[in-house]
Amino acid sequence: MSGQGLTGLSPWSRRLVAVGVLVWCLITVFPLYWVVVTAFKTPPGVVGGPTYLPFIDFTPTLQPFIDLYQGIRGEFFHTFLNSTIVGLSAAAIATAIGAMAAYALVRFEFRVRLGAGLVFFLLALGGYLLFNTTFGFTRPQALLLAFPIALIAAVVANRLPLPGPILGNEDILFWFVSQRMFPPIVTAFALYLLYSEIGRLGFQLIDSFVGLTLCYVAFSLPIVVWLMRDFFEAVPIEVEEAAMVDNVPSWRIFFGIVVPMSMNGLLATFMITLAFVWNEFLFALFLTNSRWQTLPILVAGQNSQRGDEWWAISAAALVAIVPMMIMAGLLSRMMRSGLLIGAIK
Amino acid sequence: MMRNDPIKHVFIWPAVLVVLAISIFPLIYSLTTSFLSYRLIPPIPPRVVWLGNYATLLQEPRFWNAIFTTTLIAFIAVGLQYAIGFGVALALNARVPGERLFRVALLLPMLLAPVAVALVARMMFNPTMGPLNQFLSKFGLVNLPFLTNGHWALACIIAVEVWQWTPFVILMMLAGLQTLPEDVYEAAELENASAWQQFWGITFPMLLPISAAIVFIRLIESYKIMDTVFVMTGGGPGVDTETLTLFAYQEGFKKFNLGYTSALSFLFLIAITIIGVTYLALLRPHLEKRR
Repeated sequence: MSGQGLTGLSPWSRRLVAVGVLVWCLITVFPLYWVVVTAFKTPPGVVGGPTYLPFIDFTPTLQPFIDLYQGIRGEFFHTFLNSTIVGLSAAAIATAIGAMAAYALVRFEFRVRLGAGLVFFLLALGGYLLFNTTFGFTRPQALLLAFPIALIAAVVANRLPLPGPILGNEDILFWFVSQRMFPPIVTAFALYLLYSEIGRLGFQLIDSFVGLTLCYVAFSLPIVVWLMRDFFEAVPIEVEEAAMVDNVPSWRIFFGIVVPMSMNGLLATFMITLAFVWNEFLFALFLTNSRWQTLPILVAGQNSQRGDEWWAISAAALVAIVPMMIMAGLLSRMMRSGLLIGAIK
Repeated sequence: MMRNDPIKHVFIWPAVLVVLAISIFPLIYSLTTSFLSYRLIPPIPPRVVWLGNYATLLQEPRFWNAIFTTTLIAFIAVGLQYAIGFGVALALNARVPGERLFRVALLLPMLLAPVAVALVARMMFNPTMGPLNQFLSKFGLVNLPFLTNGHWALACIIAVEVWQWTPFVILMMLAGLQTLPEDVYEAAELENASAWQQFWGITFPMLLPISAAIVFIRLIESYKIMDTVFVMTGGGPGVDTETLTLFAYQEGFKKFNLGYTSALSFLFLIAITIIGVTYLALLRPHLEKRR
């Protein structure tokens, strides 16, 4: 089924196209090659001008990596561990609860009144202002009080015959995905203020595992729900119907039949989420200081700390890049089986 | 078939709760803060100024500069990403020799941390130790001011964005190309349509909905650009490459001017919404014609 679009071209222009792709490929690969070779250079090998080939142009050394491991340029090992822990747990939690929500959106019917949504927002906003200004609660206290009240009121309001349109599953999905449109700076900054005020109540969220992971889970959920919905839609419904005839409860259908059948999709979603969390910079910049600092923050810091020590910077960048290189290899293998075709429809 | 079973609430509520808590809390918080004059350093008690912060911002040249810079980066970078990405995807789909090998390499950049990519870019663009300048000096262009001249710095940032995110376009367009029906092309072959005609008559229109979605995603994401600029130029020289997110970060995290920053982030949200809605409105007639 492949080969459309260019079949009519002459062999000469086909060759031209191939050269074009090759040039782009070289542009893509050269910087990666450069960072790999630079990481093995000695200081004189860098400062003396660009050198390209190991053993011919310069003598490779492992010194940058040894420095890195010994923590000469900051707590590298510790930070690497942080990134791994936060990345794995955030990706796992997001994939789990996101997959559940996606399944619910595919197989069950939801009806939410727009009026109920408005009730929620107005009560949350109004309740917050009321508690904060009139009753003299602190700002996080007021928010924490207003939130459940608004939520319960909205759930009740959803049962009442309010006027206005009724939203279905598609709209709920759109709401999830639209969270991704938000400029993260809006959330990051407000979350920083909120976390630090909650910290003053005695529960530390800034520079903590819980705070950072929670925020990453929330920001990965839109992608997870979006991707997983397509995978679940591809699961043949007949299997589930057969199970329902036998009176298998819904939760067992999900965990026992649907999840094993869409393992590939879950794995791919998990890896994409992991890549997103691993590379994330802005939230980590706002929400961590030293204890839970992640790799991107440390790598970015290398730049300003000691200007042109490219050999060390390359080694640091390489440590941040290599896990994702491995993932790219794994993912591309999955892509070849047409995994993403469903996701873009 | 849609089922109805109370267990559906158990399935959906965890996700809804987390997203609600992390998006609605901060939204309300910063919306109310944006009407206050509120600083942490020096600590003055909050005072209600209503739209005062917004008015100050709209008169601030630095704010307009940041909007202009961000828009410039986003539109040029996304345009280039789309053009190059579509081209490469077409070539890969036509089974250019060596296509297998290309696929993994072409996928790589989008999975790497933008911060690390920006550091690598700094090395590449370094005037004395970088390979790019050595290469260009062979053509008589010596020591170009890559990151120290405003225009050059912008171009470099755009180049890095294109380098990193073209793979995303390639990936999505490739998936799109694979969904196209074969028989249309066979019919076109019978009519002796040239490859050029086939592209503009069949491939491009049929891929328009996917293209619109891809460009939309990339535009929205590009407006959030921060890490690349943060590492490559820090917004400099001067404020020549300062983007909206970076501006907000400087105001909020360096000066702790809370009310002002909240107002700024809300203006940002409004701007993004306007761009998104305009984009969809402009494209809607084109998309519906095809149905």
